[in-house]
Amino acid sequence: MESSIYKKKRALIVFLVPAFLFMAVFLYYPFFRNILNSFQSIPSLGAGSKGWNTPWYTNYVKLFQDVNMRRALINTLIMMLVTIVGQVGIAIVLALMVDNVGKGGKFFRTVYFFPIVISATALGLMFNLIFLYDKGMVNQLLELLGKSTLTDWKDSAHALLVMMLPVMWQYVGFYFVILITGLNNISEDLYEVAAIDGATRWQRVRYITLPLLHNVICTCIVLAVTGSLKVFDLPWVMFPKGMPLGKTWLTGTYMYYQAFNTNNVDYSSAIAVLIVVLGIITSKIVNKVFKEVEY
Amino acid sequence: MKKKMVCVLLAGTMVTSIFAGCGKKTGTDNTAADLSLSVTTTFAGEDGNAQNYKDAVAAFEKQEGVKINDASATSDETFKARVQTDFQAGSEPDVLFFFNGADANSFIQEGKVVSIDDIRAKYPDYASNMNDDLITPSLVDNKKYAVPVNGYWEGMFCNTEVLDQAGVEVPGADYTWDQFQADCEKIKAAGYAPIAAALGDIPHYWWEYSIFNHTTPATHLEIPTSVDEGNGPGWVSGMEDIKGLYEKGYFPDNTLSAKDDETFAMFTSGKAAFLIDGSWKVGGIAAACQSDAEDPSTLDKDKLDKFTVTYVPTNGERKATDLIGGLSMGYYISKKAWDDEAKRDAAVKFVEYMTTDDMVAKFAQHTASALKEAPKVDESQFNSLQVKAIDMMAGVTSLTGAAQDLFNGECRVSTFDGMPQIVTGEVDAKDAVAEGLSAYADQTAE
Repeated sequence: MESSIYKKKRALIVFLVPAFLFMAVFLYYPFFRNILNSFQSIPSLGAGSKGWNTPWYTNYVKLFQDVNMRRALINTLIMMLVTIVGQVGIAIVLALMVDNVGKGGKFFRTVYFFPIVISATALGLMFNLIFLYDKGMVNQLLELLGKSTLTDWKDSAHALLVMMLPVMWQYVGFYFVILITGLNNISEDLYEVAAIDGATRWQRVRYITLPLLHNVICTCIVLAVTGSLKVFDLPWVMFPKGMPLGKTWLTGTYMYYQAFNTNNVDYSSAIAVLIVVLGIITSKIVNKVFKEVEY
Repeated sequence: MKKKMVCVLLAGTMVTSIFAGCGKKTGTDNTAADLSLSVTTTFAGEDGNAQNYKDAVAAFEKQEGVKINDASATSDETFKARVQTDFQAGSEPDVLFFFNGADANSFIQEGKVVSIDDIRAKYPDYASNMNDDLITPSLVDNKKYAVPVNGYWEGMFCNTEVLDQAGVEVPGADYTWDQFQADCEKIKAAGYAPIAAALGDIPHYWWEYSIFNHTTPATHLEIPTSVDEGNGPGWVSGMEDIKGLYEKGYFPDNTLSAKDDETFAMFTSGKAAFLIDGSWKVGGIAAACQSDAEDPSTLDKDKLDKFTVTYVPTNGERKATDLIGGLSMGYYISKKAWDDEAKRDAAVKFVEYMTTDDMVAKFAQHTASALKEAPKVDESQFNSLQVKAIDMMAGVTSLTGAAQDLFNGECRVSTFDGMPQIVTGEVDAKDAVAEGLSAYADQTAE
């Protein structure tokens, strides 16, 4: 009687249906509606469609002709590389170091994880102050070191770097925690055996830790790549409307701008569809390149 | 069996919670004790009347026992989009203080607000203290919907400390474009930024006046059909004027990457000389001179004395004393609140309370109002910048509405958001204006 709940499938369905309904109403319906919207003429947010665009694929043609969209795609690709190298890469290094540190491991875990719990908007405002032109922290430090002129850290030459640094910094802790959990699952016996066999610390990392962390790293990379496609809040707070000169557009910020600033809802829907397609393609590529392995 | 019951109950609760918010409310269950009104205004943030509004709402709640759910926010494009979306989604506020230009077209077209005449049919004294001739009619049907409170003007604020350092006189009523450029050169040579403006963020005021410089008060509100006709060439010349100022280095070095509050801080902290902005900035500048922005008693009067406001230099037929201004906003009552009998009375009372003679005089200060008989204002209550604003307004020869209020949404993208591309030469001014006018033609054709 006690285990009948696991044998009879009806009870499971009762639990699955609400979640399915929730997903259907709040995810799948809007998603398919969004695809339809991308082919229609919608005058403003919340307004009804005025019919199909002529030709119906107008917005998709525009996607390929739009200079800002091209810039957004290039920046998003750069963001992907930055997340792989800057977020996952740094997280691996930090995780390995914290795993090897004797005392204070818990302290470092908290320190590195902390940025994740701060809202991206607050972080954006904080980094705005750090890179502020007049009286910003970086410029004041440079002034103390003898620099006589102010640097505009948000100009065309520096904007991309200044936008990506905080995004990178914010999520290092997230991947760090995943990797630390992966490291904890590696048996200490393996390290002891390797040490008895005379393996150096680097050899233990190279031949035991990294191969056994492979699958966790793969998961982190897939999360990082797909996550970079929808990065929005922090860049928007620091560089609204692609400032300066449209150099900082990302697919997420450009989609928002089209929907909420220019009221171009159908074009924004087309950008959203493109983001989903790119997400599927890139995660497939990443899965192919970083195949999971069985040990 | 027990587990099964728990399973079913839990699942039932989940399903119920999903659809909890989907039910349609029929009728109204508001009683006098729990009656509430949702209100949205722009009296928030740096708006000089934010505190007046808070005080008035608190007094109204106390007097009428009606709870006001206030969702006021700083007036910007995001605010406008939010309001329009709320109307489209059927979650509009009961009372709204909003623009009376093209931004209101969508919800007026859909009949989602009530006209003043319709309200007067049931409440004959509604807005009876206003001069109807001064209430701006809707662009949609020429009916009047919004009861105005305070007007606005746009002028040029000056940091006299910077002007003194550069050896420049405070501009007067006959200030020309050439004099302005000569002054900018002197200010730049003295090591200051002549103009505080974030062209990548809020180019609105420069956009408006640069175009106004090539039109007249009589023709300014005529949106051209093309770049070669009517005001079209004037619009292009206006954009090129801004480009000229940018190329001469009269804007801050970070004008393309800074936000408006950054360049405003440069102005108030004595690093920039001129700021073209609206009458609401009088309050913003005073707040910047207070040690506690929320507490007017902490005002540093000596610091505030260093600021003044004057006319915007002219570069054409317009006189410097012809300003952009008027009554561009007012209180609307939504159809939803009007149809709800419990709320209708409260909404009317709220608008009447916020538009009494005394209240309007308090909000209007140095700006215009639509009152039939404006009460005498006690100028001793005003700070030095407010007094200077009143002096400036005394010399104004005309107030003309803003062309950008008729030219909203996608039309603005190429010359507002595209201003950095225009001033850096990435996009030709003529092409940018043509793109905006083409979007306007599409919009008006719909």
